[in-house]
Amino acid sequence: MADVAISGPGRRVFFRQGTMLKAVVLAILVALIVLPLMRTVLFTLHPDTIRAWSDVLVGRLSTNLFYKPLGNTLLIGAVVATGCVLLGGFLAWLVVMTNVPFRKTIGVMAALPFMIPSFAAALAWGTLFRNDRIGGQVGWLQGLGLEIPDWLAWGMVPTLIVLVLHYFSLAFTIIAAALATVNSDLVEAAQIAGAKGRRILLGIILPVTTPALVAAGSLCFAGAVSNFATPALLGLPVRMQTLSTRLFGMIEVGQVGRGYVIGILLVLVSGIFLWAGNRVVSGRRSYTTITGKGGRAKRFDLRGARWPLYAIAMAVLVSSTVVPVIVLTASSLAPSSANLFSGWTLHYWVGQSDPSFAQGIPGIAHNDDIVRALTITLGLGMAVAFTGMFVGLLASYTTARYRAGWMSAAITQISFLPLLVPGIAFGAAYIAYLGAPIGPFPALYGTFALLVIAATGYLLPFSVQTGRAVIQQVGGELEESARITGAGFFRRLVQITVPLAVRGLAAGGILIFVKIIRDLSLVVLLFTPTMPVLSVVAYRYASEGFGQFANAITVIIMFISIAATLIANRLQSKSQPWLQN
Amino acid sequence: MKVLTATRLGAIGILMSSAVFAQDDLNALTPEDLLPLAQAEGTVTVYSFTSRIGKVEAAFEAAYPDIDLQGFDISSTEQIARLKAEAQAGVTNADVVYISDTPVVLTELLETGIIAPYVPPRVADRVPAEYQSPLLAQRLSTKVLMYNEEANPDGAPVSNLWELTTDEWRGRVVMVDPLQRGDYLDLMTEIVLRSDEMAGAYNAQFGATIDLGGAANAGEKFIMDLFANDVILVGSTDDVNAAVGVLGQENPPVGFTSYSDRRDNEDEGWALQVANGVAPAPGIIFPAVLALSAEPNNPAAARLVIDFLMGDETETGGPGLAPFYVAGDYVTRSDIPPHPDAVALDDFTAWRIAPAQTATIRAEVGDLILTLQ
Repeated sequence: MADVAISGPGRRVFFRQGTMLKAVVLAILVALIVLPLMRTVLFTLHPDTIRAWSDVLVGRLSTNLFYKPLGNTLLIGAVVATGCVLLGGFLAWLVVMTNVPFRKTIGVMAALPFMIPSFAAALAWGTLFRNDRIGGQVGWLQGLGLEIPDWLAWGMVPTLIVLVLHYFSLAFTIIAAALATVNSDLVEAAQIAGAKGRRILLGIILPVTTPALVAAGSLCFAGAVSNFATPALLGLPVRMQTLSTRLFGMIEVGQVGRGYVIGILLVLVSGIFLWAGNRVVSGRRSYTTITGKGGRAKRFDLRGARWPLYAIAMAVLVSSTVVPVIVLTASSLAPSSANLFSGWTLHYWVGQSDPSFAQGIPGIAHNDDIVRALTITLGLGMAVAFTGMFVGLLASYTTARYRAGWMSAAITQISFLPLLVPGIAFGAAYIAYLGAPIGPFPALYGTFALLVIAATGYLLPFSVQTGRAVIQQVGGELEESARITGAGFFRRLVQITVPLAVRGLAAGGILIFVKIIRDLSLVVLLFTPTMPVLSVVAYRYASEGFGQFANAITVIIMFISIAATLIANRLQSKSQPWLQN
Repeated sequence: MKVLTATRLGAIGILMSSAVFAQDDLNALTPEDLLPLAQAEGTVTVYSFTSRIGKVEAAFEAAYPDIDLQGFDISSTEQIARLKAEAQAGVTNADVVYISDTPVVLTELLETGIIAPYVPPRVADRVPAEYQSPLLAQRLSTKVLMYNEEANPDGAPVSNLWELTTDEWRGRVVMVDPLQRGDYLDLMTEIVLRSDEMAGAYNAQFGATIDLGGAANAGEKFIMDLFANDVILVGSTDDVNAAVGVLGQENPPVGFTSYSDRRDNEDEGWALQVANGVAPAPGIIFPAVLALSAEPNNPAAARLVIDFLMGDETETGGPGLAPFYVAGDYVTRSDIPPHPDAVALDDFTAWRIAPAQTATIRAEVGDLILTLQ
């Protein structure tokens, strides 16, 4: 309607309603996302660095630089995706479709692990299972006298377990949401026709939720292949490399060209699988799972299996939420991880520097570096929450109100591009992009601005999605009428859209805040000593053998993350519809 | 109000005067002359390859309470990557660079103008010329084979490096990943450069001439055999120290680490000792150098830090040198007596690296190691 009114004769197309806005949004997205990625590719094509491609892909180094890490990466992706779909699907089925006891508790706990940083779980694993292979302190179990074999302490097996226990929560959320929308008519029809529970599960529920399963699987795959913290903490001591740890290693030792090539290949691997997953789903669009009719079907009666299944679910959930919290807290108090629950001291928290204790490193409350990192991290979280929601709202508003045209399509596509880009590769791209002055603009290397800009771009898929949900809550009619009475774009945004959407915006902002303060992969390369962030400080302490400090910092990050998430969930009371009955 | 303005003007005046000084003029100043300029700057940032910067920070701030020293413990390898990236970005974060890895530092930081040399005039006549140029060496550090003294009271359990490639030491040799720490890559490079000595030692150990197999020389062959023998790679020297040194081990590993880490034996509960008798050599001796960044933000305070790190006029150099006046570190100042508890430098059999020569094949050795892991 707006378009019709304004694109009358005599007006130039340039002034068509929304064109300016679309151009501005598109320019922002190109600057945030497209240019950094292109800059990285161009860097590797430079005559001085193009050799890096052959080093990585064909030379005598290629096996160790690329193919072995690629094999590990794909194995991790495949196993974690499968494990997460099975585990997340099992829990979602329990919560949504059965009469298992304490459904709500299971539902709330299953959403938590994703809010705990993945390096927290890896650190907790080390605290429990670390053996004496690389010397130093052994873990608690070895301290109890158990002989922990290398394969359980280090490398692939613990990496897989830790990642499954982290990402299953993502799969749970997606699958539970899909199960909650399964049309009860279908189930009831089957029940009337005499089908048993097993038959209904395999014949109806599984096929209907296939898109959600594939989506969950491919997101878990993408998350697992790009995860940096877990393979770095658990794999490097046994020389297990993934593409992300190789990328980090190459850039840290100054072999930037090789690092970027590995980064580009990592983006391709991640992208191909997400694209393939998407293809599978989009081929099955004929399954309509949401209709207006139909109530909740009768829950499956688990009968005698109720309590055993409950026990299994709780075992998984406790080991992925409560255990890491307890272990990390205890370990931040215990001088020796072999005796986790004795000789507790507050030194690592509030102690003054003592030359004979932990190389004279003071407790984190007196440690200037950590206090500064905390300030910067919180500042970063708030700044990105603001910029992210601003750009996200602007982009989703633009595409929602002015849907037509190639620019809208481009905005939508580009805003989801970072989903395909692992955080560590995105960080590498930003070093290539803003690490040197561009024309009149100074380089941003080592500045707060760089962290904010990179994080805003990196989280754009998330903020645009949140923005879209918010926009949809605000009906277009109100805005239409404001426009008819002559209100300008900013007036409408400030006086109508924002006030109506403020709860959703706040919740979205808080979730962005959480995502960035617990992130390691994006910031690990953007980190500079003079601009420290908590997660990297924790990682560095952990890799230098000061586990207690790393764990104390991680406890702080977990505490902030969980508190903020709970606040956001309050604001978005509709975020878990499957819990309502 | 007036007072405040006057103070401010004074401060601005001092700041401007320090800006007016050309770098060369600052280079000639005594610490007493540097002090007011440094106090006006108020802060100074140091990138240091050793965690001992924490002790230096405390000592420096005790000596100069008006100047805030921000010390960062960053490995040499990472410092080089950071400093290059910062230079490319036109950003200067560090004022003082305290670093090893001289083969790379000379070519990639000094020759490219990212860092600049500085020798405090106060000590210039007491540091041998070889340690003043191209960069000021504060001390000589080491990466040598160490063993657990408690478990081996009769001396080192190894007398020849080639023993480390035998079954007895399978999975029981610890070092830091040479791709993560430059000094370890320098050690590997030196082993390759000393291939003739390595070939001789092979003969002495096994009574046969070395069969190179796929290796280009005896040094490369040693590195390949060492990796094939499940050498344990860790992330930092402290991990090596703990693995090798912790008391109460029955069958402890051996490892390449800093001789000077023996200083922490008592505090950390270690029993580290150097295997100085091992053939052909236990490892390498290399300089730890001090430099200014090319355009420091705090030029006077930066020079004051370097002056401080070279030690004062007391017998063993006072608080600035105290963290480094330990057994296993060899201070370059000729007027400071050698540490009584250490093997004398002349008796120490470790190889002295020649940075320029190391630089020629270092990348190649790095690639070799990459193919092994």
